[in-house]
Amino acid sequence: MKIEGTYTFKVPQQKVWDTFNSVEHLQAALPGCQKLEETEPGKFDVFLKIGISAVKGKYKGKFEIADSQPPNSYKLMGGGKGLPGYVKGEAAISLAQEGEDTILTYDGDVQVGGLLAGIGQRMIGGISKMMLEQFFKNMDKELS
Amino acid sequence: MKPTAFEYFTPSTVQEALQLLESQGDEAKILAGGQSLVAMMNFRAARPEVLIDINNIKELDYLKEEGDEIVVGALTRERTLEVSPLVKEKCPVLAKAITHIGHLPIRFRGTIGGTLVHADNTAEIPIMAMALDAKMKIAGPSGERVLKASEFFLTYLTSAVEENELLVEVRIPTFDPKTTAWSYVDIARRSGDFAIVAVASILTLNTKGVCRSARIALGGVAPTPIRAKEAEALLTGQKITDSLIEEAAIKAADEDNVDPDADYHATAEYRRAMAKVLTKRGLKEAWTNFEGSN
Amino acid sequence: MSGEKKKWVGTSYKRKEDMRLLTGRGTFMDDIMLPNMKHAAILRSPYAHARLLDVDISEALKAPGVIGVVTGEDVKQESKPFPCGVTIPTKYYSCAVDKVRFVGEPVAVVVADNRYLAEDALDLIEVDYEPLEAVVNIEKAIEPGAPVLHENIGSNIYNHRFFKYGTDWDTVCQEADEVVKWKFNFPKYAGSPIETYGVIATYSPYDKAYVVYNNYQGPFVNHALTAMALGIAENKMRWIIPTDVGGGFGCKTGIYPYCALMSIVAKKTGVTVKWIEDRREHLMASATCTDRVTYMEAAVRKDGKILAFKDKAMDTTGGYIRAPEPGCAYRSTGNHTGAYDIRNVDREVYIVATNKGLTAPLRGYGCQELYFSTERITDMAAAKLGMDPAEIRFKNFIQPEQMPYTTATGGYYDVGNYPAAFQKCLDLVEYDKMREYQKKARAEGRLVGIGLASVTDPSVTNIAYVAIGKTVEERKNERDKSGSGEAAIVKVDPLGGITVICSTNPQGQGHETVISQIIADEFGVHPDDVVVDSVVDSSDRLYSITTGSFSSRFASSGTTSIVKAARQCIEKANKIAAHLLKVEVEDIVFEEGKFFAKGKPEKAINLRHIAGAAHWNQSNLPEGMEDAGLFGTSMYTFPTSQPPDDQDRVNSSNTYGFVAEAIVVEIDQETGQVSFLKWASVHDAGTILNPQIVRGQVLGSIVGAIGGSMYEEQAYDENGQCLTASFADYLCPTAMEMPKVDVDHFESPSVLTALGSKGAGEGSSMSVPPAIGNALADALAPLGAVIDELPMTPSKIWHLIDKAKAKTN
Repeated sequence: MKIEGTYTFKVPQQKVWDTFNSVEHLQAALPGCQKLEETEPGKFDVFLKIGISAVKGKYKGKFEIADSQPPNSYKLMGGGKGLPGYVKGEAAISLAQEGEDTILTYDGDVQVGGLLAGIGQRMIGGISKMMLEQFFKNMDKELS
Repeated sequence: MKPTAFEYFTPSTVQEALQLLESQGDEAKILAGGQSLVAMMNFRAARPEVLIDINNIKELDYLKEEGDEIVVGALTRERTLEVSPLVKEKCPVLAKAITHIGHLPIRFRGTIGGTLVHADNTAEIPIMAMALDAKMKIAGPSGERVLKASEFFLTYLTSAVEENELLVEVRIPTFDPKTTAWSYVDIARRSGDFAIVAVASILTLNTKGVCRSARIALGGVAPTPIRAKEAEALLTGQKITDSLIEEAAIKAADEDNVDPDADYHATAEYRRAMAKVLTKRGLKEAWTNFEGSN
Repeated sequence: MSGEKKKWVGTSYKRKEDMRLLTGRGTFMDDIMLPNMKHAAILRSPYAHARLLDVDISEALKAPGVIGVVTGEDVKQESKPFPCGVTIPTKYYSCAVDKVRFVGEPVAVVVADNRYLAEDALDLIEVDYEPLEAVVNIEKAIEPGAPVLHENIGSNIYNHRFFKYGTDWDTVCQEADEVVKWKFNFPKYAGSPIETYGVIATYSPYDKAYVVYNNYQGPFVNHALTAMALGIAENKMRWIIPTDVGGGFGCKTGIYPYCALMSIVAKKTGVTVKWIEDRREHLMASATCTDRVTYMEAAVRKDGKILAFKDKAMDTTGGYIRAPEPGCAYRSTGNHTGAYDIRNVDREVYIVATNKGLTAPLRGYGCQELYFSTERITDMAAAKLGMDPAEIRFKNFIQPEQMPYTTATGGYYDVGNYPAAFQKCLDLVEYDKMREYQKKARAEGRLVGIGLASVTDPSVTNIAYVAIGKTVEERKNERDKSGSGEAAIVKVDPLGGITVICSTNPQGQGHETVISQIIADEFGVHPDDVVVDSVVDSSDRLYSITTGSFSSRFASSGTTSIVKAARQCIEKANKIAAHLLKVEVEDIVFEEGKFFAKGKPEKAINLRHIAGAAHWNQSNLPEGMEDAGLFGTSMYTFPTSQPPDDQDRVNSSNTYGFVAEAIVVEIDQETGQVSFLKWASVHDAGTILNPQIVRGQVLGSIVGAIGGSMYEEQAYDENGQCLTASFADYLCPTAMEMPKVDVDHFESPSVLTALGSKGAGEGSSMSVPPAIGNALADALAPLGAVIDELPMTPSKIWHLIDKAKAKTN
C-alpha cells in the first residue's frame, strides 16, 4: 500500500534534521514506543504497543536509517512482528526549506501481513497515514 | 478462533462501571451489544484483559422526548429505536437508517452507545449523528461532558471517549416531517453488509418549497462520517430542482474532506463516484417522498 | 421382475434427513465426543513465502493445559510427502518443513485440554521466518527471475503439456473465415460449506493402527494417500465419517492433509486429538478451485460453424500441487468441446506454482474455467459474424442422431438432444420477447443484456483423467489407472428389514432419501421402512479409490450399484421363493413386494418370509445356494471408464448431461450494480429421481456460481496476503441476492446407468459463470466494453463503463 504526503514544521531545516536523527526524540515521538535502542549506527531495535480501538498489539521490530544525505533526505526502513501480524514499511523522507518553514515530504510503502491483512484491509492505508501524521505531530512537539 | 482469557465484571450502575474502568486500567473494555467487540475478540484481534459488561445497567436504557430532542440512554438497542413510534414520528430518518444495520438479530443486540463509540466511518448511527448534530453525553471520573458529533468522531474507529470514560446518553434533535424532506441511501455489496458509501439527507423546507437548511452526511469517504458543507450551502435558500440536486451532488463528492480509501471491494474513484451518485439519489428520494406526501 | 414399476423414484418423497437436521439432532464431526479427547490448534504462517529457520516450542510446552506440540520436523520424520500425478511432485507434507509457501500453511500443532488453551499456547511459539519474495500472478510466476517455490522442481511449473486432436490449427485456420481470440481470467473461489473441516484421530501403539474420524467426501483418494504418506498399510487406518456432513461442494475432496497431520499428532502426543477448523482457517487454507488464465481462440466459418478451438490454459494450484490435481486441467478432457461438434482441438496446459492457498475438485471442477473461455469466445465469434448467440449455438450443436457421439478428445456422450433442450430454455426465458425488450431498453439508454450458455455436464469421473498429466511416453512406464466404481451392499436381516450400506457418504444431497425410494421400488416396500446407513466406515463396507461423493456421481454411479445389489438380492429371493413354493424360478412373479407362483397370487409370500427362510432355516436353502442370509453386493464400474489412449484421448467422465442457461440482466450505469430480470435454467440430468432434491441441487449450484461470478473470491495482495479471510470480505450470496430462476428439465435417460439418471449436482456451477459473463458483456456491448474476468463487482463494472465512456468522449 503506497502512502505519501507532506507535513510542515515551523522550524528551520537543520533543526528538523537533527531532531529526526536523535534517538531520544524518535523514542518520544514514535506512537506507542516503549523502547528504542540504537544497536549500530543508524540501526534500531524497537518495541511498540500500538493499535486502534480495541485492536491493540505489542510489536517487536527493527528499523534503520539509510541513504542519509544530511540535511535533506534519508530512507526509513523497518518492520515489526506481533501477535496480530506483521508490518513492514519503507519511506523516503525529504526536507526542504520554504521561508521560515521546513516542508517534510514522505513517499513510501506499507505492507501488512497476518491477521491484520485479513480483517482491516480497508483501513490500513488510512490508518498507516494517520499514525505517520501522529508521529510528525509528536515530532513537532519535540521541536518546540 | 477462541478469545484470550479475560476477567469479567457486571456493574449495575454507571458509577460502578466508572470505578471499574479506573481501577482496571487501560486493559479494560466496555461490553455492550458485543456486535463489534466480540467479533474482534473471537479473531484475537482484540485481547482485552478485562471485560466490563454494562448490559445490566438499567439506568442506561431509556428513550424519551424532552422538548425538541429525543433523549436516548446509551444502552438502548438499535431495534428499540427502529420500531419506536416516537422515533418514527419525530426523527424518521434515524429509524430508516437503522433498518440498514446488518440483519435483524444484530439489531436486537447492538446498542446506540456501542456503535457510536466504535466509530466506524460507514456505520449508520454515527452517520446519522453527524447528519443530525446529535449531542453525546460522556461520564468520567471528573463528571460529565457533552460533545457535538463533529467533536465526537476523531478518526478511524476512534471516538473522543477516553479509556476511563463511558458514553451514557445521546440527544437527537427532532424535526417536523411535514416540513422536512429526508432520506438514507447506501450502496453495499450485499443486503446487510457494511456500506461502501452511505448518504443521509435532511432538508428543512418552507411553505414555498425553498430549502431553509440542508444537512448532508456522508459515510465511507473519510476517516469519520463527514458533512458536505459546501453542498449544503449550495442548497440553502434555494428552491429544490433536479439541476440543483445534480450540482450539490457533484460538489459533495469533491469537497476537501472527501478522501476515500481503496480496498479489495472498491477503488477510491468508485467510492468518490458513489458519493456523487448517492447524494444525488438521496436528495431526489427525499424530495420526491416529500412532494408525494404534501 | 422388480423395479419396472416406478412408484417412488421420480416423486418428491419428503427428505428423511430433514427432521433430524432441522431439530438439531444431526451427528456432525463436532458432535463426536470420545473419552479423554484433547483439542488441537494449528499455528499458521503469516507469510506467503518464507524460509522456516526455527520453530521454538519451549515456552508453549510449559503453557497451562498443554499436552504436546508437534512441528514440521516431527511430521517429516513420521511421514512422506503426499504422492501426486505429475512428473516431479512437490514435497507436500501436512505441515511446513523447510519453507512456508502460502499464508495459512500449518507450521506447528498444539494439543491442550481445550481449544482456548491450545490457542493461548500458539501465541507462545516463536518462529524464525526469513521472508522471501512472493509471487501470486500466474504469468509472472513463470517469467525468468520469479521467486521459485520448490527447489526440487527448479521452476514454478508443476505441469506443462501440449495436446493436438484432429487437424492441426494452422491448416484449419486456412479454411476459416474468422479467427476470434481473447484472453480470459477465471477467479479462485471456494465452496464455503457451513461445516468446516474436522478430524478426530487416535493411535494405538499396540496395533500400530489409527482411527481417523473426518468429514471428507468419501474415502476417495484421501484414505489411500494418507496411508501412503504415513507409510502404513491402508487397513491400519480406520476411516470413519459420521452420519451428517454439513456440505462439501468439493472442498472436502482431494487431499485433506489434516487427516495425516492429526494422525501424526495423535501418535506423537499419545492422546485422542480433535481438531475443528475455524472459518478463518477454512477461508485461507482449505481448498478452492484453481484460478486460470486462458488465451482462447476459435476458428470459425462465416456461416457460424466453429472449426477448431485453440487454447493455452494456465492454472495455479497454489503453493503445492496435491492429488487429484492436475485434474483441474484434465477432468474436462472428454467434454472439452462441450455440446458442439468441433473435431479439431489444440491445447497447451500449464499448471503453475504461486504463493496462494491450495486447490481441490470444487463443484464444477475445471469445467467452469473451461466453459467461461469457450462460451465467451463463442459469443464473441457470433458478434464478429453478426449472428445471434443462440443461432451460432444451434449451428454447432451435436445433433441427436449423432448419439452416441465420441468427442475429438475421447469423451463418450451416450445420449442427449441438445438442440431441443436448448430450445426449451429459450422458450422458458421467452427469448424473442426478451430481445424486443432489450431493443426498447437500449433505445432508452439502459444497459440490458441477455447471456446464454449451453454446456455438457460431465459426471462420474473416470480416474484415468489424472494420467493425462503425464505424457504418453511417461505413461508407458507406469501402471494404468482407470475406473469409476461405487459400491453398495443391500442386506435383508432375519426379520425382513432392508438396510443399505454405500461406499460413499452424503453432505446434504439427500442420498438416504433417494436410496430409500430406489429400494422401495425394487422391493415393493415403503421408503419409510428402508434404512440407509450414511456413515462411512472403511472397516465394514466395500470402497475403493474411486468411491466418494464428488463429480455428481451418486445419481449415476451410486444408484447403479445400489440397483444392481438390490436386484442380486431379489434374484436370490426369487430362487428361495421358488424353492419354498415348489415351482421353477421362471414361474415366480414378484409384484408389489410379494412373491407368488404364476397364476396363484393368493398363495403369495412376502420378503419377511423369504428372509426368515434364508436366516432361520439355513439348511433348507435351494440346491446350489451356498450362502445363508439374503444380500446383494456390487461395486459397479462403467465399462466406458478406460485408460487414456496414445493420442491422449480419454473418456474423462461416464455420463454427460446438458445444461442451458438464459439470463437477462440490467446494469445500473451509475453504480455498476447488476439486477437479474429473468433467468431460465434447463437441465438434462437423465431420469429425475426426486424432483425436489434435484431442484435443490440446481438452485444450490446456481447460487454458488453467482457467488463465484459476482461476490466470492479468495483474493490476495501482491505479497500473497489473503484479503478475504473472514465472511466480512469473502462474500457468499445470501437469500437476498438470489434471483428468481425458472428451472425446467429435459430428460434423456442415460443408457449406461440402471435408472437412466445422470449427475445433477454440478450442472449450473459450470454454466452460470459463462452465462453471467455473456449477459454482462451483452449489456455493455453498446459501450464497447468487454467482460473477460470474474468476479464482476459493481466497482469493476463501473470502471469498465467509465473507461468506455471516456474513450468515446
